[in-house]
Amino acid sequence: MAAHSLDDLRRVIRRIETRRPKRPAPAPIEEVLGGELVDTGSGPLLVVRREFPLSHQHGRQRLGAALEAPLELLSAMTRAELPLADARRLLFLDAETTGLAGGTGTYAFLVGAAWLEDDRLVLAQHFMRDFDEEPALLAALKPLLERASGVVTFNGSTFDLPLLETRFIMARGRWPAALPHLDLLRPARRVWASCFADCRLATLEREVIGLVRDDDIPGGFIPALYFDYLRSRRAAPLARVLAHNRDDILTLVGLLAWFGGALTTHEALTPAELGGLGRLWEPVDLERAMACYRGALEAGLTGALAQAIRLHLARWEKRFARWDAACSLWEEAARHVGFDPRPWEELAKFHEHRRRDFVTARAVVEDALGLAEAAGAPLRTVDAFTHRLGRLERRATIAAGRPSEPRE
Amino acid sequence: MLGGILDDLLTSPSTGPCITATRHFPARPPVLVPLPSSLDPRIGEALRARGMGELYSHQARAWELIEKGHHVVVVTPTASGKTLCYNLPALQALVHQPDARVLYLFPTKALAQDQLAELEALARQLPEMRMFTYDGDTPQDARRAVRARANLVLTNPDMLHSGILPHHTKWATLFQNLRYVVIDELHAYRGVFGSHLANVLRRLRRICRHYGSAPQFIMASATIANPGELARRLTGEPVEEITESGAPTGDKVFVCYNPPVVNRELGIRAPYLGEAAKLAIRFLREKIATIIFAQSRLATEVLLTAIKSGVADKTGDSGIVRGYRGGYLPTRRRAVEKGLREGEVLGVVSTNALELGVDIGHLDVAVLAGYPGGIASLWQQAGRAGRRSGRSAALLVATSAPLDQFMVTHPEYLFGTPPEHARVNPNNPFILVNHLKCAAFELPIGDDERFGELDVRRFLGALEDEGVLHHAGLRWHWAAETYPADHVSLRTVTTDNFVVIDTTARDEKQTKRRQIIAEVDWGSAFATIYPKAIYLVESEPFEVQELHFREDEEKVAYVKRVNVDYFTDAISAKGVWIVQRLADQSHPAYVAEQGEVLVAEKVVGFKKIKMGTLENVGSGEVELPQQEMQTTAAWLTIPPETLARVSQSREEVIDGLRAVTYLLHHLAPIFLLCDIRDLGSWLGDTTPVTSGAVATRESAKRRLMDAEQFNPTVYLYDSHAGGIGLAEHLFEILPDLLRSGLATLEACACPAGCPSCVGPVNEVGRRAKSTARSLLRALTD
Repeated sequence: MAAHSLDDLRRVIRRIETRRPKRPAPAPIEEVLGGELVDTGSGPLLVVRREFPLSHQHGRQRLGAALEAPLELLSAMTRAELPLADARRLLFLDAETTGLAGGTGTYAFLVGAAWLEDDRLVLAQHFMRDFDEEPALLAALKPLLERASGVVTFNGSTFDLPLLETRFIMARGRWPAALPHLDLLRPARRVWASCFADCRLATLEREVIGLVRDDDIPGGFIPALYFDYLRSRRAAPLARVLAHNRDDILTLVGLLAWFGGALTTHEALTPAELGGLGRLWEPVDLERAMACYRGALEAGLTGALAQAIRLHLARWEKRFARWDAACSLWEEAARHVGFDPRPWEELAKFHEHRRRDFVTARAVVEDALGLAEAAGAPLRTVDAFTHRLGRLERRATIAAGRPSEPRE
Repeated sequence: MLGGILDDLLTSPSTGPCITATRHFPARPPVLVPLPSSLDPRIGEALRARGMGELYSHQARAWELIEKGHHVVVVTPTASGKTLCYNLPALQALVHQPDARVLYLFPTKALAQDQLAELEALARQLPEMRMFTYDGDTPQDARRAVRARANLVLTNPDMLHSGILPHHTKWATLFQNLRYVVIDELHAYRGVFGSHLANVLRRLRRICRHYGSAPQFIMASATIANPGELARRLTGEPVEEITESGAPTGDKVFVCYNPPVVNRELGIRAPYLGEAAKLAIRFLREKIATIIFAQSRLATEVLLTAIKSGVADKTGDSGIVRGYRGGYLPTRRRAVEKGLREGEVLGVVSTNALELGVDIGHLDVAVLAGYPGGIASLWQQAGRAGRRSGRSAALLVATSAPLDQFMVTHPEYLFGTPPEHARVNPNNPFILVNHLKCAAFELPIGDDERFGELDVRRFLGALEDEGVLHHAGLRWHWAAETYPADHVSLRTVTTDNFVVIDTTARDEKQTKRRQIIAEVDWGSAFATIYPKAIYLVESEPFEVQELHFREDEEKVAYVKRVNVDYFTDAISAKGVWIVQRLADQSHPAYVAEQGEVLVAEKVVGFKKIKMGTLENVGSGEVELPQQEMQTTAAWLTIPPETLARVSQSREEVIDGLRAVTYLLHHLAPIFLLCDIRDLGSWLGDTTPVTSGAVATRESAKRRLMDAEQFNPTVYLYDSHAGGIGLAEHLFEILPDLLRSGLATLEACACPAGCPSCVGPVNEVGRRAKSTARSLLRALTD
């Protein structure tokens, strides 16, 4: 409240008591937004319904391709508690809310839901014209949730679903708690975290789906637009909110379609995506993950991302005791532009502990030290190599007295 | 040993005359009753295993009333086994109904930890016990588990307010099955904190109604005048009081000690801190466990320094005496508590932070350096010394302030007066409006719904106009993006704590680690950690290098260890302006009014005061922002005719009025039964609302001297923003207050003013006492 003092407060109260603002007659919002009022059994609700053929192209993605996504595999990859099945009965869900604060005072005033019906994608947006229509909104969602085989969202596990659950509990309703859920933010993070600056839906839409929205409303403005509508009853500005929500849901379908394509055939993937896909495979099929990493490197990936994948792959090779593969990766990594101590350290350890070839190990550390000092590496790094060198020199001297056997 | 020292104090020619009163409280045996037959035998077994085969009478009475479904408040002395009064019904409920839920509220996190440990010890053999604390220290990933598993949750009002109620759907099982709400240390919830808690409980009861539960409240309080009323106002329910304690007490002596007069002409007594330190050192040197209560942070540090060196002289070990106060970091405080319980720490110098029931074991002697401001606090502090058997003593060392002097010279008042009323004003508009926002966030507010007993429709309308609420379908809904609980702090100023960072090591050893040595709340920061201030932590002096307080930066004070023999005391400037008059009353010689005022304060400089001798050794200036608050006040304006009868000299009148202001401020707590810090006072004038420049004592006087219209006004205001109801009361008793002011002044033997009547003569002026006498005579005619 802006009142800073007792008399401010009193002035505000007096103003209200003398002049209650008249509410303008509601404009026919269903006409403005192109929807219809539906009787939900718990009151009327504005539903804006659109249909898209499965052949519809959303950017570079065909919506129908989402049907071919290997759902069980994706569930396993993202460690979903309940695996999804039956792509034809999925419900794609995205809510627009009165804020990001969470808690019981944040409402979902617009819930977009999409599902397959025959050869079409039906996208229905449920909009409450005022807070007292929340029961109607929840009543409309309930059957959709109940007949769905699972829910697909983007960041739904921390935001949309807990919020909807709160709304259902507030209305003394029951949330179908055992609904399988695929939050596409999880696999998206694994694949693209190291490709793009962030993993927001808008970023993925632009970079992966290849779609640039015009006149999109930034998400941060959405609550204020709804509050404006509540006070003014002018519905026209809300059209942009509905368009935003619609695009978000189509992108959700498009992303699932992308995963379907990427997991079945590796064609049309950039080397960076191929590397990211390796992260996705890791929990379910390590060999395929490693194949992805190798593929990404062979496809000419460079820079910090390539270095990270190289070291990551080398760690697995080391764990499987495939020393030649590991060593060649480390040697490659040691040539990386700018001094990176990690491969040098691995090589030194390999020669010292595995091959017990102290002379080679010493040579590796001497090279590393030279490079580290030249590159102005942190004191701690130089110190660690110096310490290692001292030990290797002692061991090399002792070993010189007796023949050493390389251990395998 | 203790007896020997006490006898010596009473009879020795140096200390004997200082003792103005002693009161002996004989030992009392316990009143025991058998365990109630309805108590689950497994709980009975657990009690017997811990040596409690019977209950004290008040514990049994609580059991009986709670079993009948009453809300209950238990008011018995420290260490009388209050906690069992609520632990037994709580454990019984959980043993019998695994679905039942119990919520415990403590004013601090440390007390919740203490209680969890005690409960766990008692409930070790019982089934279905899932007890957890849930507060700011609970890690994020453990919170979900606590919500899902706990059937007994220990938390604090702040967490309930900002972490639990706004997320009540995550706690749906708790609210559906909430059987008991336990509120310990009820007396701590007075003033602003209590007014907030009352509103948090209004919100809690709304949420419970929503989920169909109606929990019983079980409360425990230290002795205050109105525990039942406080409990009723906080919970909004009828509450049964239990005030008869059945617990035994040991033999105890209470001694009033008035430091000797060292300068009869100026009415100056030996510094009370030095006297308190001397007494404490005598006990500590004989290995008698002693707690010393100081009335401020600074006094704590000064006393600690003196006592440490006094004890070290004899034993060579100053580590057996430690300091304890709010600003210390939790780890330091936990260490001191543990040291006291285990006997490694023999003495502790504390602020009122140790008044609360933190477990520090039993001590033999309490030295109260200064009257703590209230009768309730006095007995709380004195009660920290005492065992269930054996002898203990409490000594009150008076300062030279009128209130202290009054107390030690009127022992019948000290021992005979009931403790203060704990006042709360849940309908303070600032507090109320903030909680209405939180309530609407939690659950839309219905048109015909009351908040507590209150009709709040006009507030809701105002909040809609402000754009945070929206009315739809007969209910008011939260319609903003924010999380309102984040903007409401229950203790006025806990959100913006300053951290104090020691940079000594950083500069010397080049380490980049932040050495946080203390925390200071926003309210006292400007008066304690201004640049160049000496900030003491366990009597080690640090000098403040920089203070960062701008809104957009982290609130930090950088300090450096220094070797100095002085501490600093802030000089502040002040101003009071009338905002609105709500009531007035004309008396023959003055006009009394009551209403709302704006109080502005600003720290403008500091004095350097030498440790030990307490002499002024320098000063400095500081540049800090002004702090303002609106509150309620009573004031009296004296017309020129009355003043003309007293003196023709404007300066004399001003000095005299200053003296009267001092006297009235210091005596008012006796009438209002409040703490002296609950009030503020100021001699200003009746000026229009627009003026806003603060003034120091000197410049305020100059301003009055130069004023075109001389309308001096004595303000007495409520020091809590928005007011907690003291000003209205003051307005009513003003004539009595003036009469008792005159009586006190005339009874004081000093010739021209001393700290015990109108203030020290060198501060108020040579003629102030006689002018004040004439003024008070004129006003009471």
